[in-house]
Amino acid sequence: MGNFDKIRPISKKIAASLIKGEGAVDMENPEIFDEEAKGQLLTDIKKGARLDLLNQIDAEQDWKALERHLKPARKASKFWVYGAAASMVILIALGIVLSKMDEEQELEFNTPRIINNNIEVGTDKATLTLDDGSEVTLEKGQVYKSKTSSSNGEEIVYQSTTDTPVSHDQIVFNTLTIPRGGQFYMVLSDGTRVWLNSETQLKYPVAFVKGQIREVELIYGEAYFDVSPSTDHNGARFKVANASQNVEVLGTEFNIKAYKGEANVYTTLVEGKVNVQVGDESKVLVPNEQLNLNLDTQNLTVNLVDIYNETSWKEGVFSFEGMSLKDIMKVLSRWYDMNVTIENSIDAEERFIGTFKKNSSIEDILIAIHSTNFINSYEVNDKSLTIK
Amino acid sequence: MREGKTEYTFKSYKKLFENLYPQLCVFAYKYLNDLELSKDLVQEVFLKVWEDKITFQSENHETGFFYKAVKNKCLNYLKSKRYKATERYELTDLEDYDTEEFHISEAVVVETTAVIENAINTLPEKAAKVIRLSIEDYTNNEIANELSISVNTVKDHKKVAYRKLRNLLSFLTIR
Repeated sequence: MGNFDKIRPISKKIAASLIKGEGAVDMENPEIFDEEAKGQLLTDIKKGARLDLLNQIDAEQDWKALERHLKPARKASKFWVYGAAASMVILIALGIVLSKMDEEQELEFNTPRIINNNIEVGTDKATLTLDDGSEVTLEKGQVYKSKTSSSNGEEIVYQSTTDTPVSHDQIVFNTLTIPRGGQFYMVLSDGTRVWLNSETQLKYPVAFVKGQIREVELIYGEAYFDVSPSTDHNGARFKVANASQNVEVLGTEFNIKAYKGEANVYTTLVEGKVNVQVGDESKVLVPNEQLNLNLDTQNLTVNLVDIYNETSWKEGVFSFEGMSLKDIMKVLSRWYDMNVTIENSIDAEERFIGTFKKNSSIEDILIAIHSTNFINSYEVNDKSLTIK
Repeated sequence: MREGKTEYTFKSYKKLFENLYPQLCVFAYKYLNDLELSKDLVQEVFLKVWEDKITFQSENHETGFFYKAVKNKCLNYLKSKRYKATERYELTDLEDYDTEEFHISEAVVVETTAVIENAINTLPEKAAKVIRLSIEDYTNNEIANELSISVNTVKDHKKVAYRKLRNLLSFLTIR
């Protein structure tokens, strides 16, 4: 599947062969066509079987009709699914279906089943674990206040304090744990801002040792750091430690994705400069670069990425570009706290592009994915989703 | 990796439209058997891509996307209640239509026809006639008979055509 993007090259090649009068046409993708289909195809082309129709179409005139409807475009907010590069299948989605013919577009077969939908949109919530091991639940409506921090249930802010520890043994640590279906925002005592995604745990000092490296630990999950500059902290660098790697910076914005049970850790630099240390190896990233650490092989690769796709989660938007269905479902399962099964009849590696707001209901998203015609159906039962 | 991913302007979108729209309408016709409807659906796809500010990494990606989008649009239409009410196709027919081979071969037929047509239209009249017949598997002798010219003149016309179409034909040697 997914050879639609080769139409032009194949067509040019066939056209060139035919014009040159070369008998055999190498179609490059013989697996797409069997011999019979290939023969029929060449016959159709040679006979000009589509020529009459083609000549009946006046592109210039129809452009004038269309042009009137083209408004200066705006950023898509609806879900729109399609494949990206060479090997990806391109699928169309919700957008078109909704735009013109919605009420009539309902597909009658393979009707999705919603048995007892208990899948809820994620919210701001976290568990704060204090130095003594006691736990505080932070969620909407819960106000929490201590000597060092305060929370309104949607974020937690640590006070910048003059009462800083003088050595590492005096550091008091807190841990913030974001469950599946949660997200949270925090400001550390040095002014560094951190957005925490679902299923994430971060351990950090309540106050940093003055003039010494500021170190936090991303135990697992995904977090976006907007680090307050070293120049404001007597030159103290900022470090994010993780079991697999250490990231050191002077003051910058970056995203780290290090989920449990995943084969890769991704560090994406938005602004400034970071140094990522993996074992003995280190890599310096510049903005728009993403370091991919493969945990199995310890291989490091650097790719240019679209920052928006990587960090939109913190703005309340999921933006998938060329992401496989399997990976999209992983992201969704964390935010909607659901179990997802993709049946074998569906190619879970198929890639989509889509954008939607994180406050969309799971059903809205499923309708969009379903309308690509790529999946046959789906079933929601309690907190489980099956893609069929 | 993302070079060339620029947003469309009215001008560039018009160019794209002129390059792709006729073929896409013919492609849609294969599913819908109704040229006016085909035009409408293809225009809706163009409208949607514009509104959603979709960008593409390459021309091939772009071409592929539009074909796939039109295909899905057509299939959705055929599956819609509105269409089923008219009962022009049985559902089993629809399954035949919804195969990768069907989509791609039809897309290639349409696209190749357009490439050839555009190429031939740049040729002088006589050379164009010669090439048309040549594509239909006429030998040089048969072409000479058909057009009442000598075999050498046929060969000359072919040479003119090949020179003129060098860019297109060089496609074979690039790869």
